[in-house]
Amino acid sequence: MIDYESLGWFLLILAGGVVAGIIGSLTGLGGGSVLVPLLTLFYGVPIEYATGASLISTIATSAGSASTYTRKGIANIKIGVGLEVATTLGAIIGALMFEIVVTHKVQFVLYLLFGVVILTSIIPTVKRGKYEFPEEKQGDFTSRIFQLKAKYYDEKAGKEVSYTGVRWWLGEIIMFFAGLLSGLLGIGSGALKVLGMDWAMNLPMKVTTTTSNFMIGITAATGSSIYWYAGYIQFFLASATAIGVLLGSRIGSTLLLRISNKEIRWIFFSILSFLGVDMILKGITNSKLYNIPSIDGFGIAVASSVILILLLFLKITIEEGKHGYLR
Amino acid sequence: MDTSDKLTLIVSYILKYAVFLSITLIIIGISLMFINGNANGVPISKLADFNNAQTGTYNSSSFSPTQIPGAIMSLDALGFISLGLWVLIFTPVTVLVSSLVEYIYVKNKLYTILTFVVLFNLMAAILIVPHFVKV
Repeated sequence: MIDYESLGWFLLILAGGVVAGIIGSLTGLGGGSVLVPLLTLFYGVPIEYATGASLISTIATSAGSASTYTRKGIANIKIGVGLEVATTLGAIIGALMFEIVVTHKVQFVLYLLFGVVILTSIIPTVKRGKYEFPEEKQGDFTSRIFQLKAKYYDEKAGKEVSYTGVRWWLGEIIMFFAGLLSGLLGIGSGALKVLGMDWAMNLPMKVTTTTSNFMIGITAATGSSIYWYAGYIQFFLASATAIGVLLGSRIGSTLLLRISNKEIRWIFFSILSFLGVDMILKGITNSKLYNIPSIDGFGIAVASSVILILLLFLKITIEEGKHGYLR
Repeated sequence: MDTSDKLTLIVSYILKYAVFLSITLIIIGISLMFINGNANGVPISKLADFNNAQTGTYNSSSFSPTQIPGAIMSLDALGFISLGLWVLIFTPVTVLVSSLVEYIYVKNKLYTILTFVVLFNLMAAILIVPHFVKV
């Protein structure tokens, strides 16, 4: 006799995973950044299990999308593996810090940090695509030593794009923190990885995002095994979200190709900022420093996310004028 | 096809088929869980409950990876789900090993070392670091 209540619960979590996958893919922030707030704020899942489930889903989505980009030769495996030296180390330390936070029952720190990370990730993510082809810089000593000169064929531009990565050491430093956040919050830290490769190493945005996608799986796997032994993988939850987020991210990437009006992405950025603010409020309430009633919290989160996104939208529209980032 | 293209293709196939295999195993496991009404002797209502302060939540610390072969032989749901999850965790290991082989083959010393360090970190996270966390 099938337990329909559990089946219903499973499908509900799976649906949440699909939603997280779609929003994560449309905004480019990744499923984990949506999944953890969704599970903790709306499903009542303890943050330790939400984070564990998110890490597992992150490996699945990363592997799924990275497979396509590596085949097309856009993702740079050499650069990705080189930077993983710092990211995997960061992920180990992050996962151990997570264990300490949970053992000492100060999970509210995770809510606060998560909220701040989502909100600060929105800006570089919105700006993604601004510099389609960075000016190829004269390589520095790290470009030569770490073999950072490469090229790929850009389908949209219809030409071969050659590039030279620089400042490998700075990329490594940023990647360490990307790994740390991944292990600590169960996310792919795509925004920080993009910052490391785009801003620090001057790689083309397409190479950056696809290489980041490839790297995320390795980083998440590093944290996952530690989570497993510490008991933060809940089978029922992780199974539902792995299937759901993978499915959602596939739907999201298909939708992204079909949506002609890219402005629609602002709706999803608003949802993300709502989740970010709500996580911070939940963190404040859980810290017992100040109790925010949930109905007030909801209102505050809606109002502040609307204001934040409007300000960001205006700033970017004014700055860019004719060439809006999202077009 | 030069060596870096070959590596790209190998990595791409590993990623693609590993995800497919993993998700298939998880779906088989979940189906068995609902058909049998339990997994590893634990009723499904407890498996689906992740917020139980009284009896505790059934999680990965209750099921060691060494139990996977036995559980699969007896068609137990957790055997398949765990194997599916471990296939996912091990996918990057496979990717790194194939990169390592490639860099050794093309005699790229620096990247052989760097890949080895990454692989070491990942294997340490799987085999060594867990001994320092609670079980």
